[in-house]
Amino acid sequence: MDEILATMAAVAADPLGYARQWKNETQGRVIGLFPMHFPGELAHAAGALPMILQEDDEPVTVGQAQVFNFYCGYNRSIIDQALRGEFEVLDAILFGDHCVQLLGTADVIRASVPKMPILFNQLCSILDADWAKAETTRTFSQLWKELEALIGQPIAAEQVQASIRLFNRNRALIRELYDLRRAGKIALTGRQMQDVVKSSMVMDREQHTRLLEKLVAGLERRPPPANAVRVFLSGHLCHAPKLAVLDLVEECGGVVVDDDLYHGFRFVFWDVAETGDPVEALADWYLLRSTKVPCPTRAVKGLDWEDYLLRSVAASGAQGLIVLMAKFCEPHMYFYPEIKDAFDRHGIPHLLVETEHEEMPMEALKTRVETFIEIAKRRLAA
Amino acid sequence: MQRVAEMQEHPKASPVFGNGERANRLKSTRFGGKLVNDYWENLFAAKEQGKKIVWYNGTYIPPFFHAHDVAWVHGEAWSAMLSAKHREVTAQARGDQKGYDRELCSYARTHIGQLLIELDKIKAGTSDLAPDDPRIETLLKLPPPDMIINAYPYCSSGQQWDDITYRLFGKKVPMMTISIPLLWGGRPDAGYLRGEEWNERSRYVADQLIAMTRFMEEHTGRKFDFDRLSEVMGYVKKAAQLRLEAMELCTAQPSPASFFDWIVSIAPVNFLPGDQNIVTYFEGVLAECKERIARGEGAVKDEKYRLFFDGMMNWNKVGWLADKFAAVNACVVAGRYTHMSFWQEPELVDLKDPVLGMAQNYLICPNNHGAPIMIGEIERICDKFKIDGMVMHAARTCRGMTNSQFLIADSAKRHGRQTLFFEGDVADESFYKDELLNTRLEAMVEALDAKARAA
Repeated sequence: MDEILATMAAVAADPLGYARQWKNETQGRVIGLFPMHFPGELAHAAGALPMILQEDDEPVTVGQAQVFNFYCGYNRSIIDQALRGEFEVLDAILFGDHCVQLLGTADVIRASVPKMPILFNQLCSILDADWAKAETTRTFSQLWKELEALIGQPIAAEQVQASIRLFNRNRALIRELYDLRRAGKIALTGRQMQDVVKSSMVMDREQHTRLLEKLVAGLERRPPPANAVRVFLSGHLCHAPKLAVLDLVEECGGVVVDDDLYHGFRFVFWDVAETGDPVEALADWYLLRSTKVPCPTRAVKGLDWEDYLLRSVAASGAQGLIVLMAKFCEPHMYFYPEIKDAFDRHGIPHLLVETEHEEMPMEALKTRVETFIEIAKRRLAA
Repeated sequence: MQRVAEMQEHPKASPVFGNGERANRLKSTRFGGKLVNDYWENLFAAKEQGKKIVWYNGTYIPPFFHAHDVAWVHGEAWSAMLSAKHREVTAQARGDQKGYDRELCSYARTHIGQLLIELDKIKAGTSDLAPDDPRIETLLKLPPPDMIINAYPYCSSGQQWDDITYRLFGKKVPMMTISIPLLWGGRPDAGYLRGEEWNERSRYVADQLIAMTRFMEEHTGRKFDFDRLSEVMGYVKKAAQLRLEAMELCTAQPSPASFFDWIVSIAPVNFLPGDQNIVTYFEGVLAECKERIARGEGAVKDEKYRLFFDGMMNWNKVGWLADKFAAVNACVVAGRYTHMSFWQEPELVDLKDPVLGMAQNYLICPNNHGAPIMIGEIERICDKFKIDGMVMHAARTCRGMTNSQFLIADSAKRHGRQTLFFEGDVADESFYKDELLNTRLEAMVEALDAKARAA
């Protein structure tokens, strides 16, 4: 099992390196996707390796020439990677999410890598609008058409359905890991769970699914440390939290039992229908996602992120919530006070950690996390 | 209008910089101050008159409200007005206290912060301020909403702003959000006002606007009158045509008006009622521009440099900036915010059936095109107005307008235009650093002089 986790960790640490290797071996197309709610199934059905483009660990240098320092780390890193020539492996970029910073990033890439096609069709972010279904269906149909033009051949509905089945299987296996972790039957660390999910965003899905099947079956059934404080992680809607931050939670006496991170449960919680018109199925998948795990970037009047978090924290048996907020992430900044008020009202310990692309003051953060863990322990004992 | 209010309150505020000259503002824009004051007064009295109130954010959809005889509150205008009157600080502090990060849109923080103050007072039973409290004229009479409508092109943050407003009112106020998607311009036939994407998106937004009229019908119990909409749009279209005609006159050297005159002229084509007053306003502006040209009188004394302003306005600093540029004989002739928005394509509006053309004007707001088409339009404007240099206002909390600014600057340099960046914000003065702008403006002027000498 260690070998499987090490393979996933290696891919998660160098996604573009994996893509280059895959391309060399298969001569296939690599298509980059942007977060947050964009399906990879269509690109996969087009015969490509769909990979969600990731923030890297390099400091932003040449990228400074094209992006202000008051943009989130994900966008600054993506622009920096584009200007460093890291995206040469990509044959195209697809996206549809409405994030104002991401729209600017896409334009910078279009200007700096002019030969690379960027297929963008903005998804309707008002999920409860009367026209949301029709518009989302139209958007995915348009994307399908543009992908066919890109690869120069039609994409059969059966191919898309096969990709949907494969992606569903992959997500279901990761959800099994989540179920086992919530039940205290396995002791995957925060770092390991991130590696599992992040590598699924990058690797060939069949290869990744085979690894997952072995991992789910063979992972040692043992509970996490008994005296650790059970922690729920929330936030980071687009990019992976630094592994050192996840490690710190555990070093300070916590154990991560659940999350709604994009590089976590948010990525795998919801499947696409395997029968019927695949465009309809993808549209339904997109529109219903936020009814299960609310996202602050989507407008759904009847849903509240904080209510979901309260329910999920209770269901997972977590004793506290750590909110990981990427600096300059506007949707998260809007909704954080709602979360804070709700958790205050319910007397559940919570801690806000603002994360940055650049190095973070880990010693200062350690003190804050230790204090949070101590508070959670005392609440538990009281 | 914001500058008018500011200048009325701080008539002598001007930077100590350059040759000490001040901007030669259009006198005709003073009428705008009256119109704006009348608008707020009418709004404050709207509840007493039995009118329903719509709070809205985003693009210039008030003609729909006007046609349906409901009163409207534009959140951005409210925040800009508080900011221009230097009354935004307490509102923003209340937002800070609630937990809103200061890197969030300062329009939203001001708006939400003031809303929180009002809700505090209602909860505490102390909502009545003393009659001589200076805030009463602008703040406390603001009626709460009966409906919330959000219609933001490009800016995702704008949608979330109203999501929060909706929640702060306990989810009891009906809300509708309209999607005005980016015109990415990636398809082979894409171009300014043309192509498959343009046609699709125009219809998509128009259909949503029709749905908005049904939403208003549902929550007022009255049928929407499209004939009345055509009538209102008749005034708006005429005002927009006059505005463009006056703007065209600024190809003259010296330019009779500056970007800052167009900034204070936004209200009539943004959120003021579509009636004869806005036509009269721009008739006055046009006439004054013509008179100035006849006299050879410029918006800036001894105009030597012609600049383009990119980015959202810094509402705390309108008059201040107007004077600063005037003090180095630089006329900021045009800008993205003023010249690429607010009904800049009035001929698209067919008064017999105005909705589609309205949708199209909303789609082409100054940042809702992908960069290649948007920058093409900027360069076209710069060529037309013989622009020497670009002033890039990096508004800290407005990513919608800071996106692509480096690309715009790159393009300007390729076209032989000098560029400078300065930091500021739409409604949070703390991000503005005056001395940095001084230094950079001086450097730009020196570079332009050197270029002129070398030519």
